[in-house]
Amino acid sequence: MRMNAIGVLLLVFAPLSTATEPPRAVVQGGHDHAAMSDAMGVRDMPITTAWTELPTLKTKMSGANRESRIITVMPQNIVAASIDAWSNNLQDADAHRQLPMELGGARLDKPTTGGFQMLTAREERRDAVHVASTVYYFGERSAKNPTAMFMRQKNELEIIPQPFPREHSRYRANEDWQFLARFNGQPLAGQKVDLLTSNGSRMVLMTDAAGVLTVHVPDDFKKIEEVKQGGGHDHSPRRGADLVLATQHVANGKTYLTAFNSTYGPDAFDQRSLALGLGFILLGMIGATPLLRQRKNKKPVVVNTNNKES
Amino acid sequence: MLKTIFPTLTRFRFAIQILMLFVTVYGGVLLGNYTVDRISQALPSLACAYDKSTGDHCILIVNQHQFHHRIGEALVKAQEVTYKILIPTMISVATFFAFFFFLNKAFCGWVCPMGTVQEIVYRIGRKLGRPLHRFDRGNVGRVRPVKWLLLLVLVLGLPLLAGLGTVSNELGDPFCQVCPSRLATTLLTADTEQIAVKTSSGIGFFLGALGNTLFGFVIIAALVARQPFCRICPLLSWNALFQRLSPMQLVKKQNDKCDKCSVCEKACPMDIHEIGREYGRKAFHEDCTLCGRCVEFCPDDDVIQIKFLGMPLFRSSREQYKYRVKLETPEGTSKKRVIPILPKPVSDNG
Repeated sequence: MRMNAIGVLLLVFAPLSTATEPPRAVVQGGHDHAAMSDAMGVRDMPITTAWTELPTLKTKMSGANRESRIITVMPQNIVAASIDAWSNNLQDADAHRQLPMELGGARLDKPTTGGFQMLTAREERRDAVHVASTVYYFGERSAKNPTAMFMRQKNELEIIPQPFPREHSRYRANEDWQFLARFNGQPLAGQKVDLLTSNGSRMVLMTDAAGVLTVHVPDDFKKIEEVKQGGGHDHSPRRGADLVLATQHVANGKTYLTAFNSTYGPDAFDQRSLALGLGFILLGMIGATPLLRQRKNKKPVVVNTNNKES
Repeated sequence: MLKTIFPTLTRFRFAIQILMLFVTVYGGVLLGNYTVDRISQALPSLACAYDKSTGDHCILIVNQHQFHHRIGEALVKAQEVTYKILIPTMISVATFFAFFFFLNKAFCGWVCPMGTVQEIVYRIGRKLGRPLHRFDRGNVGRVRPVKWLLLLVLVLGLPLLAGLGTVSNELGDPFCQVCPSRLATTLLTADTEQIAVKTSSGIGFFLGALGNTLFGFVIIAALVARQPFCRICPLLSWNALFQRLSPMQLVKKQNDKCDKCSVCEKACPMDIHEIGREYGRKAFHEDCTLCGRCVEFCPDDDVIQIKFLGMPLFRSSREQYKYRVKLETPEGTSKKRVIPILPKPVSDNG
């Protein structure tokens, strides 16, 4: 039995008039450290729930350096006694861990196999089940393919990334990413899913016949002011914001609400110039063009391909 | 059967290069999105982390990260360089060497996507009848130190200084920012993002401009010169550090005829003139990419060999030589007709 979810969710989103904290904007060079930072949580970012009342999981890094880093998972808008952590290695002892909630959140230790961790929190009421989920990435060589872990059923109603951005990558504005919506393992065709971002975007999407949702990540960073970062390196994010996908389903007298949240970055060409890039390539090509000309007054050298001397 | 499909080592190598081009450029699509985490992340050939569908990462990005994030950060915080810092770096090197051990510098000549792209462009240049520019014995020595300089400055030095906080974080992976393979491989996936130069900072803009200009230069230069970027690639120097530690070796015997021949020198895409006049260890030069062309074009039996654990995998023979020169010159110009849209070159050595 399926029911239109949008009405309920619109009521949830309606009072979102509180000020949205602008995402911290930092400019860094090099490869996309922000991609890793996003998948690995945000360092010392304050907990903010103002932009949504949907259940979400926020990961936070603390600690002076890589070796002493502590990851804390903080449920927001959901009351859960523990956080379920699902490892990409379904065979080892860390395949499914229950992380007890402590003051400030649940501590997520790096499993031996590293790689992707699916984190879920569940709140059961008399006639409702709420689930929040997100993905955390521990950089690890030879980490197992997490696809099977993502597909393993963890709750009744699920939104599953297909795929989740891998290392050095992340959700970015103007990119299309796919998710699977399913209930008890069965794809939900024509299911309405709401997308909200901390930059203020709101939209209603619908899954296709296979239960697959294609999300065009909104480009809503335009008015965010940048802050340039000085020296030192702390893996802080560049420009980034939060997004959440949520859907609702009613079955057996219970209302199921599930939300998947992650972070996303600005458009790939943000603060870049394709025209200048092409111009410099052309400059290099022009610089090499004289090599294409024949040299004059050069005595031909004939290779003795018959090698009669040998 | 195998000999019918691959009558020459060059054709066999080219097939491997194309296969590896797909793995290093499209491996994530062919083998699964998360393959990049699972093969080595320390490949002894260029495989770009900026390519969103690559199947693996090259050792150079890992080295830059480690010097930037681990060693540099640890030193600046006055911590001991403990096993927690050294071990990850050593694991990367060990992983790299586990691959390198078997193929040695063949990763450059057989696997590297940038090497393959340059070879394809060079073949186009031959078809178009363009001249060939080579480094002769007198001037090849001028370009050879550049690869060591790039290794020390761009792969090790600046990332370390960035980790120490001495220079900007934007210099945390400076080699990647100027590496033409980053542009070539991402373009092969129809991704134009890496072409776009950063405009948010002076350093980012400078590195992007330099990288794009170098890429443009290399693509045109590859029409008339063999492997122009390989000669200054820091991965060539990195691999050269380990080349004596692999059981895969290029071996050349002393032969009196070598003084009058020098066909192998002409066949060498890296202009290693030592292969013609030296023998023993000196013949396996630091610039060698184990492409095997010198073996193919050596007109005497068993003078040059590629050996693994002392066993010859491929050796020169007069029969092979005769077959090869029917197909193309040692410089790589096909004996078949060139496309007559441009004036005919004076000679291969133009």
